[in-house]
Amino acid sequence: MDSPRTIRFDIFRFDPQDPQDSPKMVTYEVTEAPGMTVFIALNMLREQQDPSLQFDFVCRAGICGSCAMVINGKPTLACRTLTANYPEGKITLMPLPGFELIGDLSVNTGKFMRELAERLQLWLQPNADVVNIHGLETPMDPEEAAKLYELERCVECGVCVSACATKQMRDTFVGAVGMMKIARFEMDSRDARSADDFYHVIGNQDGVFGCMTLLGCQDTCPKDLPHMQQIAYLRRKMAQTIPDSNRII
Amino acid sequence: MATNFLPNNSTNKGHFIKDFSHPIWAARADKLQSLSGIMLGVFIVMHLHFESSILLGKEAFYHVVQFLEGGVFSESGHGYPLLTQIFSAFMLLVVIVHAVFALRRFPTQLGQWQALRKQMQFLPHEDTKIWFWQMVTGFGLFFMVPVHLFTMMLDPAIGPHLSAERVYYDNAWLLYVLLLPAVVVHAIFGLYRVCVKWGLVSQRFALLKLAKIIVAYLLVIGVASLIAYIVIGRSLELPIIPYVPMN
Repeated sequence: MDSPRTIRFDIFRFDPQDPQDSPKMVTYEVTEAPGMTVFIALNMLREQQDPSLQFDFVCRAGICGSCAMVINGKPTLACRTLTANYPEGKITLMPLPGFELIGDLSVNTGKFMRELAERLQLWLQPNADVVNIHGLETPMDPEEAAKLYELERCVECGVCVSACATKQMRDTFVGAVGMMKIARFEMDSRDARSADDFYHVIGNQDGVFGCMTLLGCQDTCPKDLPHMQQIAYLRRKMAQTIPDSNRII
Repeated sequence: MATNFLPNNSTNKGHFIKDFSHPIWAARADKLQSLSGIMLGVFIVMHLHFESSILLGKEAFYHVVQFLEGGVFSESGHGYPLLTQIFSAFMLLVVIVHAVFALRRFPTQLGQWQALRKQMQFLPHEDTKIWFWQMVTGFGLFFMVPVHLFTMMLDPAIGPHLSAERVYYDNAWLLYVLLLPAVVVHAIFGLYRVCVKWGLVSQRFALLKLAKIIVAYLLVIGVASLIAYIVIGRSLELPIIPYVPMN
């Protein structure tokens, strides 16, 4: 049996809270184990070599979206990336661009997602007259539920934001995650918002008409969400809408 | 609640919609950019095939020109070069519409350009790279296409010998050798992008592969026909006598 490989990790290190610190790449070496993910290797590094290494994780199973980082030039989830995918045994890790850096590989996606949700009003807004919290909820058509569930799979990892050159050029652009979530509520029959309501949120250069279809979101989404189809759907929907010009948002 | 949005207490009025500050122009700009792009893209594919008919011989190109200039409607059968002038002016208008609405995509600030370049180095991604080249070629076409169209409007002399004269003796090949790759790359990848942008296709990678094949094909026939015009031009002596078939 072959002896296990030694994997070389070049990791971005910087603590923005420390005025003496400056950004640098630090090299570490880890002995590969069968089925090892980048996330497992990072934990080993932190436990055995450098306890100051900062990175995020919660679920370890591609559900929470916390461990997103740039692995050899591709933004993705560390917990779903096998070290065996890199035959040369060299892995470079960088934090996701486009987000506030907390330290090393840890970025503040939570702050970004919260601001986005508040800006786009990413929650169900039912018709006030219909809602009766004491009664049974109206059943949903299974097909509609399946469509919504497909879009609900977004884990807000921020990979689509980092992979989008449009977002990097224009900070106010909502990115694929914003449009995916808007599409989710637009499709929901319980949501009372009209096409005009949605137009005033994303029918502009920072929304669906600002998307240049570079498709970095589609090609990197670790959950394989249908960004291309959803953005095209929203674009068609919004293009058919005649918005009210007198509304103030 | 839906009422979280501010109340809708107004109605749409025609004069508002005509106003460029009306939010509908966000959608219109996107639609007009795509529509004008489709028109130009389809036209360029046809245009390259028409002018490449010289590869089938002088007579083939002669008949194509006569047909496109409305030869069947003229008594002499030679058509009306005025049609070329009118059509060139119309295409210039479409180019202007396309450029006006496409300009909003350009990284107009240095910071945006730096962010784009940094992103491309940091995260290599094929579609982003293709878009970058579309932007670069679009910038070049902004200057080159009007030169070509103005030439056609001022002197619509098209024919096996007349075109060869322009290419060889008037040195138009210098323009065409730059215009050809720029317009082919911009147009074909532009058509690809319109298809994925509006969700007209789901097989994106197959479409991208087809687009690359079409780019290669158009470049081959474009370069071959340009060489053909140069060869014909070299064989002619000034003053040029327009080509007329023997029978």
